[in-house]
Amino acid sequence: MSYRIPIGPYHPALEEPYKLELVCDGEIVSDAVMHLGFNFRGIEYLAERRNYLQGITLVERVCGICSNVHSLSYCQTVEQLTGAEPPERALYIRVALCELERLHSHLLWSGTAAKLIGFKTVFMACFTLREKVMDALSAISGNRVNYGMNCIGGVNRDIVDPEAILGILDELENGISRTILPIFLHDKTVESRCKGIGILTREQAKAMGAVGPLARASGVGQDIRVAAPYCVYDRIQFNVPVETSGDVRARLVVHALEMVESCRILRQALRALPAGPIHTPTPAGARYKVPAGTAISRVEAPRGEVLYQVTSNGTDIPERVRVRTPTFMNMATVRLAVVGQQLADSPLIQASCDPCYSCTDR
Amino acid sequence: MNTAPENFVQSLQESGLGGDWEWKHGSWWQTPEAMEVRATAERMISLDARFVAITSTERPDKEIRLDYQWDLNGQLLTFITATAEQQMASITDLCPAADWVERETREYFGIEFTGRETTRPLMIRDGDPIGINLHKEVVK
Repeated sequence: MSYRIPIGPYHPALEEPYKLELVCDGEIVSDAVMHLGFNFRGIEYLAERRNYLQGITLVERVCGICSNVHSLSYCQTVEQLTGAEPPERALYIRVALCELERLHSHLLWSGTAAKLIGFKTVFMACFTLREKVMDALSAISGNRVNYGMNCIGGVNRDIVDPEAILGILDELENGISRTILPIFLHDKTVESRCKGIGILTREQAKAMGAVGPLARASGVGQDIRVAAPYCVYDRIQFNVPVETSGDVRARLVVHALEMVESCRILRQALRALPAGPIHTPTPAGARYKVPAGTAISRVEAPRGEVLYQVTSNGTDIPERVRVRTPTFMNMATVRLAVVGQQLADSPLIQASCDPCYSCTDR
Repeated sequence: MNTAPENFVQSLQESGLGGDWEWKHGSWWQTPEAMEVRATAERMISLDARFVAITSTERPDKEIRLDYQWDLNGQLLTFITATAEQQMASITDLCPAADWVERETREYFGIEFTGRETTRPLMIRDGDPIGINLHKEVVK
């Protein structure tokens, strides 16, 4: 006889609320029903009642982890409508911020995954390394979470000492290659805990529109930084790690290798930082009117593609702000990944999708 | 940035995605704005495209415009349709990725997607009113 186990809205693995009802036959999960919306704040609605400058601050609060990509995507849509092209230096600074954000998000995920695997030493190592990234973000922006870096037509703050950030990057790269990579790629305990569990096949990932590292761990290799480059990603050399097994181990491998690539991108961006201004002059005052039209921007967030669509009616308040986050597409795959699996593996499987409920609910 | 290969529009038209196509502000836009959502979904799936989103916008005449976005080899394609009756054909049976997006669109804009087996609430709770993003205040 099957029975139901409600998990959440306070989750055993993650800090954010959502509810999952697992239907089990003995120890095996036979179905899962998801309940969302515990973090629903109506951010799209609110953004349509604030001017464009207030909107930047608002959308940065969609997520506490990948806040920068939200303000970046929003600013990029407005820049397309206004024609306010950011200067070169600002584009490189945006890339640096995006990769630092990816690093801290991936290290957060890696630590959480390690804790659920039962490897708490790695959890400690990941969070120690993450602090170095947070130091770099804090040194650049003055903030650890909501950086307030993006503005329409550029960035608000310069990277005044790229050499100091490169120094932090050396320590970080060393830690990732000496600690995280060997454990995630070769450790037998990790392999036995993660191999073959929570499989999301390539066909399932495609059918569900999965994006980001989750899709890339299932053999769907798209990365918006390569497929539809923005900022200066088309001038930077990097690889997009892809695995095909679609299990939790593949997600560990993709995340670990992506951190190495992020360090590579960051190093190139900081070394190539051109001289010049960091933003274009914008009209003074908060009543910043945007020409009528619709624009779309896509950015590769740590969890995958973020899409913003902004429609202006020519006033200082957007008519429509659409936010489609990566976890919104990825979360539905949890049902496919947990069915047929051991109940005890379900927290790790859920966490391995790297969900962000604040992004999903908005 | 437009990274489309040469003859991209021609290849779209040869693939059965007729009409005119224009690259503007981050997407390829199809005109005229009257696509048939299910036929388009079938075509896009056959081309191995990825469903990205539906963006709904309340027009001044209270008609709801629906932009269906698909990614075809890194190119974002936007197909536009609209409804005055708050109804649209569901594509979830063809494209499971559209399930949550349709449920969300129903809750925000009151659109009923026809042909679905069930439409459980996604962001709101059972019994809550739908269309919570509608009836916007007049922008001053």
